[in-house]
Parts: sequence; C-alpha cells; structure tokens
Amino acid sequence: MSLTISCPICGKRDGYEFRFGGEERGPRPDEEGLTHEQWCSYVHMRINKAGIQREWWYHQEGCGSWFTIERDTLTNLEVEGREET
Amino acid sequence: MTDRLRNLPTMKVHPQTELTLIYAGKRLKGLASDTIATALYANGVRIFSRSLKYHRPRGLYSLDGECSNCLMDVDGIPNVRAETSLLQDNMKVEPQNVVGTPERDFMSFIDKLDRFLPAGFYYHYFHRPYRLWPFFQNRLRKAAGLGRLKPSFRMKGIFDEIYPRAEVCVIGAGPAGMQAALAAATQGLRVILLEARPWPGGFFDYRSTNDVSDIPLHQRARQLADKIEENRNIRFFPGTFMTGFYSNNLITAFQVGKETDYFDERYMEIRVESVIVATGCMERPAIFDHNDRPGIMQVACAHRLARTYGLLPGKRAIFSIGDDLGLEAAMDLFDLGLPILCVADTRSDGQAPGLVEGLEERGIPFMRGWTVSTAHGSRTLKKVTLCTLDGLENRDFKCDLLVASAGLTPSAGPLFLAQARMSYDRFTGFFLPDEMPQKVHAAGRLLGLQDPLSIEASGRLAGLSAAADCGALVKVLIKEARELLEQLPGPVRGSKFIQAPGSGRKRFVCFDEDVTVKNIYQACDLGFDHVELVKRFSTAGLGPGQGGIPGHNLPLIVAQYRRYDGDSSDPILPTTIRPPLVPAYLATYAGKSRNHPKRTPLHETMKKTPGAVFRRTGSWQRVRYFTHDFQCREEIETVRNHVGMIDVSTLGKFRVFGPDALHALQRVYVGDMSKVKEGKVKYSAMCNEDGCLMDDGVVVKTGENDYYLTSSTNRADSTAEWIRYHTRYEVWNFSLVNLTDAFGAINLAGSRSRELLQTLTDEDLSNNTFPYAGYKEFRIGGDIPVRAMRLGFLGELSYELHIPASYTRTIWDMLLEEGRPFHIQPFGLEAQNVLRLEKGHVIIGQESEIRNTLHDLGLGFLWNREKSLYKTVGAPALHFTERQNGRMKLVGFRMEDPRRPPKDGSIIVDTRIRGHVCTARYSFTLGQSIGLAHVHSDLADIGTRLEILEDDMGSKRLYAEVVPTPFYDPDGKRLKI
Repeated sequence: MSLTISCPICGKRDGYEFRFGGEERGPRPDEEGLTHEQWCSYVHMRINKAGIQREWWYHQEGCGSWFTIERDTLTNLEVEGREET
Repeated sequence: MTDRLRNLPTMKVHPQTELTLIYAGKRLKGLASDTIATALYANGVRIFSRSLKYHRPRGLYSLDGECSNCLMDVDGIPNVRAETSLLQDNMKVEPQNVVGTPERDFMSFIDKLDRFLPAGFYYHYFHRPYRLWPFFQNRLRKAAGLGRLKPSFRMKGIFDEIYPRAEVCVIGAGPAGMQAALAAATQGLRVILLEARPWPGGFFDYRSTNDVSDIPLHQRARQLADKIEENRNIRFFPGTFMTGFYSNNLITAFQVGKETDYFDERYMEIRVESVIVATGCMERPAIFDHNDRPGIMQVACAHRLARTYGLLPGKRAIFSIGDDLGLEAAMDLFDLGLPILCVADTRSDGQAPGLVEGLEERGIPFMRGWTVSTAHGSRTLKKVTLCTLDGLENRDFKCDLLVASAGLTPSAGPLFLAQARMSYDRFTGFFLPDEMPQKVHAAGRLLGLQDPLSIEASGRLAGLSAAADCGALVKVLIKEARELLEQLPGPVRGSKFIQAPGSGRKRFVCFDEDVTVKNIYQACDLGFDHVELVKRFSTAGLGPGQGGIPGHNLPLIVAQYRRYDGDSSDPILPTTIRPPLVPAYLATYAGKSRNHPKRTPLHETMKKTPGAVFRRTGSWQRVRYFTHDFQCREEIETVRNHVGMIDVSTLGKFRVFGPDALHALQRVYVGDMSKVKEGKVKYSAMCNEDGCLMDDGVVVKTGENDYYLTSSTNRADSTAEWIRYHTRYEVWNFSLVNLTDAFGAINLAGSRSRELLQTLTDEDLSNNTFPYAGYKEFRIGGDIPVRAMRLGFLGELSYELHIPASYTRTIWDMLLEEGRPFHIQPFGLEAQNVLRLEKGHVIIGQESEIRNTLHDLGLGFLWNREKSLYKTVGAPALHFTERQNGRMKLVGFRMEDPRRPPKDGSIIVDTRIRGHVCTARYSFTLGQSIGLAHVHSDLADIGTRLEILEDDMGSKRLYAEVVPTPFYDPDGKRLKI
C-alpha cells in the first residue's frame, strides 16, 4: 500500500498499520425528533468527495488511537500541514 | 552442444560446470549461468514455440523476455520466460502452444488463412446469429492461450516477501544506475539498487569498445560493480524485476532466487524518499515481411549470445540496423568469427566515423540507406531481401542469421508508472519526460545519451539530486556535476525509420498476439484510430510481453497511417503502461502462507490430553472434540450429570476505568450499565448503528469507576477499537486495557462444580454468599488469584474462572486432579455448542448475521430505552425496527422425527425459500432433535410446521415444529442451585 499516514502519536507510518474509519461528518445527531430519513442518511449516506477530505483513521498496529487526517482522494496522498478545519 | 567461444573476459557462463536439461524428452547439456534459452540455443534449438494465432514458428529474438517467443513449460509451470530464467540442473523443459513438434506443427495451416482472420475477427464472424456465439466462444477459448495448466498442478517453492526501507532506490544497475547509487551512498544515504539481470553492468557488460581512459567498457562495468560491492550503504538486488511504481515513492518488485538463496521468488515493497530510474534502452523491432522468422534477432541479443554466453549466433549473417551499437556489434562479432555478408543501415548519414572505417578495414560491405524488406525460409531463415529505403533497388542474400533492429527505444516503463509527463521527442525519437514528478529522477540511456562518459555523468547528477531530496547538502556538487554533464556529448539523434517499403501481409508488430501491420490498418479503417483504441481492438501489446515488442512501434505506425509525418505538430501518443511491468506469478504476490493461529495458555495441556481434536476457529486453535464420537455424547452427559470444564481463554477481556468509564459503557452497551452493582455480573449486548447484534458479554464492577468486561471470542481484537471509535468526539476521561492475553479462562460447569471448586479454596461458595449471576474475587489452590462469575450459558451451575495466564495450567491440572471423584472431564467446542443449543442461547455469527437486529433474535429485552442521553450505539435503529413487519425471526424448533436433525444451513421452504437452519443437533439430554432457525415472521409462531430441505433431497422433506426456547430447563432452576 503506497499510502502513508501521520499518526499524532507515532508519526508518519505505513498505511498497512491503519484502519479506515470513514469521512469526518461530525458527531451523531440527537435522538430527540430524529426522523427515519435523518437517521438513514447519517448511518448510510456518504459525501464521497473527489478531492481533499478530512477522515478518520485508527492506528490498529500501533498506539490504538482514532484521529483525523486530510487526504486527497484523487491522488491518494495525505495532505500534510493543513490547519484543522 | 556447439562449441563455445573461449577465453572471453565478458563470458558469464562457466564452461567447467555442465548442467543437464531435458527438452522435449531429450537430455541436453548446458552450462552454469546459462539461461534456459541460451542453453537450448547452444544445443541447436532454433524454433522455441509456435505463435498464438497462426502457429508460426518463433525463435530467440531478444534476451530480456520482451515477447512470448520463449515462453516455455518448465517443470510443469507454464509460461516461464526462458530468456530470463537461469538454467538449473535437471530442468524439464517443454515447448508451448505446439500441436506436434515445434518443427512440424499441425496447426500451421492457419497461417495461410490470415485473410479470414482480420483484426477483431471474432466480433465480425461469430456473432451472427448471436445464438451461435457460445459455441464459437468455447472453440476460441480452447484455441487461445499459450501454456496449459494441469488441474492437479500445485505450485512448489518458497515464496517470501520483504519490505525494505532506504532513502534512495535506483532502478537499473547499468553504468548510470551504479554511478547514481554510488553518488547517493557516498553522502551517507541508504541505497537500494535493483537489477533485472543476474549481474550488474547494463550495456557496458558485454562491450569491448574502449572508453576514453582506454579500458574496455566491460572492465569499466566491473570497476563500478566492485565499488558497489564495497559500499556498505548499498543493498544490491540482482535478478530483481520491478513491477510497479506508486505514490509516496513506493516501488514494488520481485526477486528471483539463485540456487543458493533460501527463496524461489520474493515480493518486494520498497519505500524510499527518492527514486532514480536508469533502466536504459531496448531495441525497437524492425518491421518487414516475415520479421518473426527464427534466425532473426535483435542486435544486443546476437551480441550478448557471443560475448556473455560464448555462442556464435549463426554461420552467415546479415545486419540491418539503425544505430551505432549495431555497427559496433557487427565489428565485434566479425572479430569473434561470425561471417558477415553485409551491414545495411537505415541512416544515410550520422554514423560515427570510426565505426564505418572499422567495417571497411574488415572488408564488410556497408550499405547506407538500405534495410531488410523480406525474410525467406519456410521454418527458419534461409534468405533475406535487402532494399533501398525508397524500395527501388533489391538484393538477395542467402544467410541463416539476420541481426535486425530499427533503432533504440527507452525502457521508460517506470517513468510512465511514476506519472511523469511523457511526450515524443523528434530529435531522439524517444518518449521523454517533459516534467518529472517530485523526488523522481532519470539518468543514462533512456534520456537519449549514448556516450559512455555522459551516461556515467548523468548517473552521478541523478544520484546527487536524490541525495538533495533526502536533505544532503550537495548544492555545490550538483552544480559541478551538471556543468560536467553539459560539457559532454548530449543526446544522440535517433533513427526515425518505421518500416520497410512494401506492404506484405506478414509484418508483425506484436509477436505475442500475432498482430500485423495490416491488422493495425484494419483497426484504423474501422474507426479505431487512436492508439489506445487500436491497441484494444487489435490486441497489439496485450500479451505476456506487456507491450515490450509493439510498445514503441504501434504509436509510430498509427501516426504514420494517419499521415502524421515527422514534421507535423500532431502529437505521437504513447499507450498507457500499467503495472506489473513484468509478468509475475500469483504465488509471488501471495507470498508466504501464514497459518499462525493464536494459542491459549492451555494449549500445551490440551495437546497432551488424549483424544483432543483441534480446529481453527477464527484466529485461534481450539479443541473441538475430546473423543472421536463427533456427537460428543460422553462430554455432554458429563456436564449434565457431573462436572466438566472447557478452556474459554479466547474470550475478550477488558478493563475500563476512570471517571467517565460508565459513560463509555452506556454508549456501547444497549443495557443500562448504571445498574451494574459490585459483586454482580450484568449480561448485555452491543449493536451497530443499524441495531444489529455485534457482540455480547458480561460486565462486572470491580471498584469505583472500574469495570471488567468480556467480549465474544471473535470481537476480542476489535472491541477496544469499537469503544474508542464511538467515543471519539467526547472528551471523556477513561482508560481501556485489553487483558485478553493476560488472563486465561476456564468454565467449570455441572451440578457438582461447587463441591469441586470448594475443595480448592476456603472462600464460602454457598449459594447464599455466591449466588447465580454473582461475581467474586478470591484465591484458590493456595495463593492464585481468580475472578469467578456464576454464569448460565450451558444451563448448569457453573463458574467461569479468570486466572492470570501463567497460572491457568496450574488451576486446570488441579481441577482435573481434585475432580476425579466427581467424574470430571474436559469438554470441547462441539459439546459446548450442543449444551448451549439446549438452552437456546445464541452464538454470534452462528445464530446471527450482520442483518439481524436485537429484536429479530429475541434479545430486545436487553435494550434499555430510557437512556437516549447517552446516544447508545444502535438505539435509534432499535426504536425504528421494534415493530417492523416482515423481518426474519430466530425460532427454536423440534423435529417430528426425533432421530433425524437436519444439516446446519439447510433451507426452510414452502413454495419458496422461507428461512434457514442455523444449528440443529440430536439432544441426548432430551431425546429429541432440536435446533434454531431464522424464518420469516409469519412462520415464527409457536406450533408452526416447518418444511426443511437439505442438499440433494429432491422432493423429500424433513418436518419440524416451532417450539418455545429454552428446550432444556425452561425455568432455569439448575442455574440457581
């Protein structure tokens, strides 16, 4: 796997060590007043962005933490040094 | 075997070491360091195979495996590249795609039918009427393909993989590559140097021309190779074929092991900061009538046959070439004893004067502006016709060897893979990089350089540039290297010659797929006139040579046909190159077989237990049976009547602690975890956001804000990830420790388990002080700490004992010893499976799938709907699906025929499929056959008759009735004694 990922604790490591946790979409909506559609959209729908997206990764073969990085889905390269948005 | 040349300093074969090979049943001799192809050539083999479509004879053409001509069946492995595979003693080699023998092939009449087989002929002829296509498809498939794999074939050998790291990777160990590696390594950087051939040296390796300091080039190559060997920063990988080039400078390759290596092949994934591509050039095939006849070969092929392998390639030779290397080879081969009738050069001027003089001195006729137009001879070459480039003058020569090449073409595959922007350069006639990607450099011949000093200087510059990428302070050195390179001769004008005059039907652009120039024109005429479309429609370049032969000619011919002349501004476009650059075995990609199951702390004990049968379950190796009675009657009855024990160390075990530990548990468990009381266990479940069951287990409170929990075996690896994922947005203060491997666990089950356990401890274990669903920490067997839970998975009084891993064996042995008077017996997974089935308990993955909600499984009662504040994972879905109609439900059933349980996985039917059996067994305890099944909700009512269909049952059916669960001890009295 050519992807490398920068873990905030362990530094830049080989992509094999990580597990993908999906795109960043913020915390789950509150249950009060939640409709089927909203829930279905939260659980199943994805933006699937072509470009730079913030996304979650888990350092499975390392420190075991969840963190976000920014990755350009067009080049499959991590975009480093960008401010957290 | 023909005599080899002697005393050549460039020879790589060892005349003293003879090896045997068996070719088509005959025993032949080769030498150590021969390739299979050169050994066969030494034995007079000229026809190596028959071509894919027309069954034309094919022979040795290049020596780098760029076409399928020399694909052979070696020791039962089809499609082995005989040109690049080293000969090993007693190899069994068979020609491929041959009906009869390579010399007399019964299918060769197809060659005469070529008018009926235009490009894409199968689209034209076999689809009208369309219903006949399957018939023709079947025929075509049988005729297509080269090697045949026997169904019984098993790949032998050791396939390894390595993931080396370095700062710089250099691809190609020719003069440029070696200089680049040395330049970078001298800056203290780790360098990986890859070379496809078994030795370094590139095109210096077989040349005897002197360089400026008056030493022969092959000796210069040796000098550089020695330096490489001495340099401890360089790891040199010979026999290594690069396959891919990916982002972040990840290079993939595979290395073919020598006989002294521990592996046959190994896959490599190399991650570096900076890459240097120095792969040099190959030859652009000359295109003329019958250009594929055995006896026709490329310049370097003939030259290397003589210089490296000591084989004079023929007895009467004609040269038809397009660059100075061809002239040099002609002179050198003449000096080695090859009679040369004449040398035709497509260039009318521009030859190095020294070379022309050299030919004259030797009395070799030199014909400027001539080229070969036709090869004659029915099987191998007998005669060639040379002509002027305008086709007006012709001359015939009788010969058995034609050394032919249209010019050079760079081996730029790695640059294409690296996404360098490549375009056609009109001066060199090469596809050259306009712009290199970051931290990728090119050096040497593939930039059009031909002068030995320039090549070395460009290598040094690339090596220093790569060092700069890695942070070395080499600005001044780079400036000097660049200035030096600028003073040396630059790129050489390349031959633009495309194909001989005339328009014969048998001019092959692609040998692998038997694609002729005619086929290319046909494709263009049908409208497939972009080079990528031509490639796909005509299949030129889609063969095992990965476009090595047609790669450069195809774009030129397409451009020529579209009347793009050399001065036109219309671009000549290359086809796309994709990995793998070189065909590789799937076995090499598969690598080692990694069967390393995890073992419990009791593994050694289990192995010594008579009758233990192990099975792989998930990542674990566990005991399935302790007897060869696969119904496990004795094991089951021991638990029901006396006491048994099972190794359950595979359970996931976790400690969650900290001020917000309870919040975290409330988030992932569907139950209300605030109700977990000290000294009590709480059984609960985890769902995903679809409300489907992921995991079940128990939670105990071991102290203030301190919890101990178990997960099912399969979830042991992912529970920490799961809990952290679902709390990732919170700033909760809690810690999570995976104790799975720190604790062994034994489930002691049976009505006499209390009596037995009591013999090992002074702790009061009576039902009052340690009741059902209780939790207790105490010491047993002297001073061993144990965490004990009273659980009811198997339906009997039972204690799940969690013991520090290193003591687990001690406790097991003690229980076995003390349990003798109680008739204790260990039991395995199958017995446990039946025991819990009798209680109607679910095993996740066996009675549940990822689509079954908690409600579907009848476990909805575990869900506490009052804690929406905690955003429990799956809670909204549990609300939404609580009353949903039409879902599959888990039910218990009893067979009408008590002796006949259905097989697991049998389907439940009426007029269509209505569900399936999860688990069904004969219960010795109940004297009935019982099971659990998923059925549509309208079949889920108690008393419904189920029709069960097993595999291969035809119209017969088994019948069962839906009954309430648990089947055994429905009131749970036996748990609470």
